[in-house]
Amino acid sequence: MTATMVKEKIGYQFQEHLIEKQAKAEYAMLNEFAKGEFTMENPLIKYNPYIVNDLAAVILFRTEEETAITVRVKGKTKEGDFYHTFPRAKEHVLPIVGLYSDYENKIEVYPYQQSDKKVVHTIKTPEVAGAKLVESMDTTPEFMQDNVIFLCPAVNDFAIAVDYAGDVRLNYTVPMVWDIKRNPNGNLLLGSQRLMKMPYFVSGIYEMSPVGKIYKEYRVPHGYHHDQITLPNGDIVALNCDLDNGTVEDKAVVIDKDTGHVKRTITFSNFIKPGSQKSGSWSDEDWFHCNAVWYDEHSNSLTFSGRHINAMVNIDFDTEELNWIISDPEGWPEEYQQYMFKPVGDGDFEWQYEQHANLITPLGDVMCFDNHHFGAQNPDNYLAANDSYSRGVKYRIDTEKMEIEQLWQYGKERGKEFFSPYICNVLYYNEGHYLTHSGGIAFDGEGNASEELGPFAQLDDPNVKLNSITVETINDKKMLELKVNSNYYRANKFTLYAKDGNNLSLGKGQLLGSLGETPQMDYDIPAEDTGEMLPAKHEAHITDEVDMFTFESKFEKGQLVMLLLESDQETRRYFISTSKGKRGAMCTGTFLPDDDRDTRTIVTKEGLHGEYQVKLIIDGMKYDTGITIRA
Amino acid sequence: MLKELVKEEFTQDIAKGAVLVDFYSSTCSPCKMLAFILKDIEKTLGDQVTIIKVNFEENPDLIEEHKVEGYPTLVMFKDGEELSRKSGLQQKPVIIKMIEEAL
Repeated sequence: MTATMVKEKIGYQFQEHLIEKQAKAEYAMLNEFAKGEFTMENPLIKYNPYIVNDLAAVILFRTEEETAITVRVKGKTKEGDFYHTFPRAKEHVLPIVGLYSDYENKIEVYPYQQSDKKVVHTIKTPEVAGAKLVESMDTTPEFMQDNVIFLCPAVNDFAIAVDYAGDVRLNYTVPMVWDIKRNPNGNLLLGSQRLMKMPYFVSGIYEMSPVGKIYKEYRVPHGYHHDQITLPNGDIVALNCDLDNGTVEDKAVVIDKDTGHVKRTITFSNFIKPGSQKSGSWSDEDWFHCNAVWYDEHSNSLTFSGRHINAMVNIDFDTEELNWIISDPEGWPEEYQQYMFKPVGDGDFEWQYEQHANLITPLGDVMCFDNHHFGAQNPDNYLAANDSYSRGVKYRIDTEKMEIEQLWQYGKERGKEFFSPYICNVLYYNEGHYLTHSGGIAFDGEGNASEELGPFAQLDDPNVKLNSITVETINDKKMLELKVNSNYYRANKFTLYAKDGNNLSLGKGQLLGSLGETPQMDYDIPAEDTGEMLPAKHEAHITDEVDMFTFESKFEKGQLVMLLLESDQETRRYFISTSKGKRGAMCTGTFLPDDDRDTRTIVTKEGLHGEYQVKLIIDGMKYDTGITIRA
Repeated sequence: MLKELVKEEFTQDIAKGAVLVDFYSSTCSPCKMLAFILKDIEKTLGDQVTIIKVNFEENPDLIEEHKVEGYPTLVMFKDGEELSRKSGLQQKPVIIKMIEEAL
């Protein structure tokens, strides 16, 4: 039988949203709890009940009186302990975080201020994937206390959190990506794992707790990327794309904190003309490459980091008028020179190139991770990777005199060892106290700094070594250095138990906002209907979800392929590119396929009504898949 | 009007009026899709714009001269001056907008 004679449907699976899966798991857990006589001495213990953190658990029991309960997650040393006291209650549903991999974890539980009544429970964990990635942690328990360094994914290693001793104490098992921030309520904001558009645009932002419970997904139309920030009123500014213009990473949306709906759109081409400045990674499509957004309440302004224009761009939050640009002025058109700063100070000044993660300190200083990729505006002066360096940097700006002074940097002195051509961040804790995370280090098999970004280098060269180095300094004294054998997008430091937060709220999470309607190809290419099923050689598969579906298949390079959705009312057309394209920026390679014949096409269900037959046109021949999508 | 490159006439062709140049490869699927869209645009706009298709592999000198880095790339000229360019497959409204800005 030839491949074209196979009359079988292509692969299909319906994938429940994590919120739905967690709701079912939580319901089952609470149901079991309701039916049993669980006490502090004999509680119900559920390991990883929220599916996504395999170094977490929940302990459930009742007390006769309303009692506050203290939990001690025992460390391998005393300094590795995590404590938390939960509020008074008779029914106790206690999240347990900070377990060790492949270890008989001891959990002490006792009524508040009555440690003599403690009972000890054991949770044996399996070996988890992230536990082997840490190469070294050099710090003191006095400095770290019960904090962990949380690392967000940039390649195929998922989020982990590392304690003072270098032990992994959190290990997410799904590829939730992009920036991590902690809300005042103790919850985390992290990009979802739901890929919406290759190579890394995801469906939205999860608000979740470290134990893994997702409370909300704020869906972002046409895909979220890189960064978000919460405004004083709780709304979120999230980065997305200007699809109407055929470009990417050059738009932001303000999302209502309660409904998830877009309240406002900020289009960067309204204040910077595309092509005004071009970094070494610039492309027509990705002309700005916004990788960070920061809101400054004192100046009521937004600052966007444009990697591909080598600039940090500040605009008025209300009027969207340009306030200033921090960038090497060379090559910028005359109309932008009035927004540029003149360097002053003692001569240690350097501009930043292809920077990431801009922020404004409480004193109004501007910080970023200066990747220093290419190291110049003029291509004649570009630096080779082996001659490059990266650094955290802090500038003081005077917006009246339009002067800029470099106050601090860390990293240049380490040369290529600390060079990350992509990703990374800095954090401000206090004057003189900063975190600098160089998370995109790559070396080829011969010890040269890789000219390729980590995700590409990893695909092209099995001997490539990826590293991530996170450093904290106080008044230039190194207080912490964490080295991990992978690339990690950003680092943040916090306690796994939120001191003021709930840590775990029960009830089903919410799916907010919208994904936007996937743009169709507006041309109907001619095709002959074969009446046959799609040949098995294409290894096609559909993963269906509540609000979108993903069509995955293999094609030869250059084949002209279109996905069709046919209903009684309409035919929708979606182009599938079979070309091998390489982007100048790959800030998370988490979703990159191993086989470059693999294609992944995601269609949201917005705008769809009823049932659609999924069909395919390949080089003028039309095939059925046997699959029906319902919306 | 949509036509394949005639090398000797290229400089003269782009020197006057609105001219959209499509740098393409015959082995690239977005280029194939774009070819359909450009034919459709030709039907819509008629003689208002000239569309010239330039084979990427066969014209390295033009690729270098116009700093084209990949295919497909659309470059919009008006009276010989480059007005805008887009890389990758573009939807019809985006291309129409490029052309209208040159008319």
